[in-house]
Amino acid sequence: MSDSLNRLHPLSAVTYALQHGFVWLWIPVTLLLVLAGVFDPIRAGWIPFVAPVGFLAGVAYGVVYYYRFGYAVTPDTVDVSSGVVARRSREIPYRRIQNVDIKQGVIQRVLGLAVVSIETAGGGDSEATLNFVGEAEATRLQREIRRRTADSRERRRSRDEQTAESEATTDASELADTGPSGDSSSTPVRTPDSESSSPSAGPEPSEAGEPGEPSDTGTDEFSEQRRQPLFALQPRELLLYSFTSVRAAAVAGVMFVFFLATDSIFGYLLTVAEPVGGPADLGSGTVGSYGVLTLVSLLNGIGVTYVLSVAYTFGTYYDFQLGRVGDDFVYERGLLQRYSGSIPSEKVQSVTITDNPLQRLIGYAGLWVETAGYGPDSNGGSQSAVPLARRERVHTFTENLTGVETPTFQRPPPLARRRYLARYSLLAGLIVLVAFGITQVTIFDRWYLAAVVFLAVPPAAHLRYVHLGYYVGDDHIVIRRGFWKRQTTVIPYYRIQTVSTRRSVFQRRLGLASLVIDTASSRTMTRSAPRIYDIELADARETHQTSRERLQTALRERAAADDPGVSVDFT
Amino acid sequence: MESLHTRIRLLWIAEVTIGAVVLGIALAAVNSLFISVPVAAQAGVVVVGIVLGSAYAVRRYQVWQFDLQPDALYLERGVVTFVETAVPFVRVQHVDTQFGPIERVLGLSSVVVYTAGTRNADVRIPGLTPDRARELQDTLRDLAVESEADDAV
Repeated sequence: MSDSLNRLHPLSAVTYALQHGFVWLWIPVTLLLVLAGVFDPIRAGWIPFVAPVGFLAGVAYGVVYYYRFGYAVTPDTVDVSSGVVARRSREIPYRRIQNVDIKQGVIQRVLGLAVVSIETAGGGDSEATLNFVGEAEATRLQREIRRRTADSRERRRSRDEQTAESEATTDASELADTGPSGDSSSTPVRTPDSESSSPSAGPEPSEAGEPGEPSDTGTDEFSEQRRQPLFALQPRELLLYSFTSVRAAAVAGVMFVFFLATDSIFGYLLTVAEPVGGPADLGSGTVGSYGVLTLVSLLNGIGVTYVLSVAYTFGTYYDFQLGRVGDDFVYERGLLQRYSGSIPSEKVQSVTITDNPLQRLIGYAGLWVETAGYGPDSNGGSQSAVPLARRERVHTFTENLTGVETPTFQRPPPLARRRYLARYSLLAGLIVLVAFGITQVTIFDRWYLAAVVFLAVPPAAHLRYVHLGYYVGDDHIVIRRGFWKRQTTVIPYYRIQTVSTRRSVFQRRLGLASLVIDTASSRTMTRSAPRIYDIELADARETHQTSRERLQTALRERAAADDPGVSVDFT
Repeated sequence: MESLHTRIRLLWIAEVTIGAVVLGIALAAVNSLFISVPVAAQAGVVVVGIVLGSAYAVRRYQVWQFDLQPDALYLERGVVTFVETAVPFVRVQHVDTQFGPIERVLGLSSVVVYTAGTRNADVRIPGLTPDRARELQDTLRDLAVESEADDAV
């Protein structure tokens, strides 16, 4: 199949050439500098002569790399071969593909280019990255890979059905013969052999003139399933989402700027703090004026971080749209950098509703779906399905999506709250200790003022406690936890990987236990499995046993009924 | 419920001893390079480390148990945090047998069961004789294949 490999967009040759040129430029320069230090006849003054040599070699390498890079979409696999000296040919079977994402930065959008990445389960990296292809080609690839992935899924499914009992087979063959069964939310109607049949064999006649797909030109010879919009983030929701969410990336950004321009930032802070009682300069000041400076700096830092965070969220989720194509979710978003991706619904492991205190106050929440893949968000395969919407809507979405009944949450026993009280008291004690340490080495001396943190202990313990809850449903287990970023995770029993009951020394003393329900996930260090905290041991053991049993029942039922698990049409 | 092989205690004690000795060497280095640490304190740290570690190893052995139940591999382990884990056979991705240098000397082997779950959800059953490990690996593999589910990860 090497004869039918496609090349990347010609402009990628230019970028590869420039990239490698500028990197390779440094190889002879460094070598020269080292050698010049060791051997006398070699002089550092030769740099203007050797640097272009390195640059040209890099350019040549980049161009050759471009010509040696090829990809192809074959009936069974996506093939990618690359490498100038050492060749690597990779064939990715469709059934392993989790999602196909398109990413476009600002410059790439101007030039009409896009980066396509193909993700599979496991591993912290993309399986294949096409850097760059044209916009139209990116869309074509995304569609075709998605279509073929769906096809291979269908083939597998119908094969399984044929080998299964005879009563199930009649249904399946009926479906395969007659095409659409009328119910749009049922399994996709594509027949297993549709790809070998004539290209005009579309599942539905109405798809021929689909207005929603302007780029659907003659290049796409395959009948494309229609894209149905599921959710679009309204401007109001986008603004609310931007203003109510805080991003860690913004904190990192502020820190970075701080390290870049520490002096001018200190100058600015001093200028701002002086009128309200700050010190004239960093060297001379009293305890009070330093306190004012600290306070002013803190407020400034928080303000700037918040503004950055708002801007970041706004840019990331601008014009967010979620749709469905067959059994897949497709989404796109972004103001400057445009992302577009797809999530096969059969890969969805669990669904999580998130909200922070601000969002709870205004009655809004977000909906995330977890897959075992690696997303462009790089947060461990968790994708936003609905960034923010009214709480009732999100709850309805979740119930439609997973089929979970409205949960009635059970709470851990009040004994759990005592644990948090003790834990946070220890933490507060630690803070006071640190404050005491600081007074020993600085001019501050009233370390006991730090004891005010103890005031926060009872509310903190209470808030943590009241936001804990779990519900053992017929087909799902629902776990709620967290105050600052409350997560309500709905896990279908058939997605459970392992179940663990954990009891620390302290928990054993109180007769409590935590239950960890693990689902398949991308292997990131930060992600932790959903956990029911501090319930009574008997309850934990019972839930443990129930989950195990219902996993087996659910798997048997699914094998018999061919249930896709989640309903794609959830809005 | 099946317990681990008794020799696993020796393995764990050996590991703790190595750790304590390394700590002792580090203290000796601190002594000669930065601040003086009395020899008694150095020896004390090593001895206390070995004693506590050995007690921990013995307790850990007493607690560690596993069982092949009808639907899942069930394990109980942990001294500080006691953990009861069920790994349904359907979820077993693959099973390894492994042994390190000390395990090899002691004639022990481990079985590692991988699932598609989070990183720390992979379970390792240490302290098995090589025969038992091989047998367990085969059993788990057969059970996993037998109960294979067709839901993609």
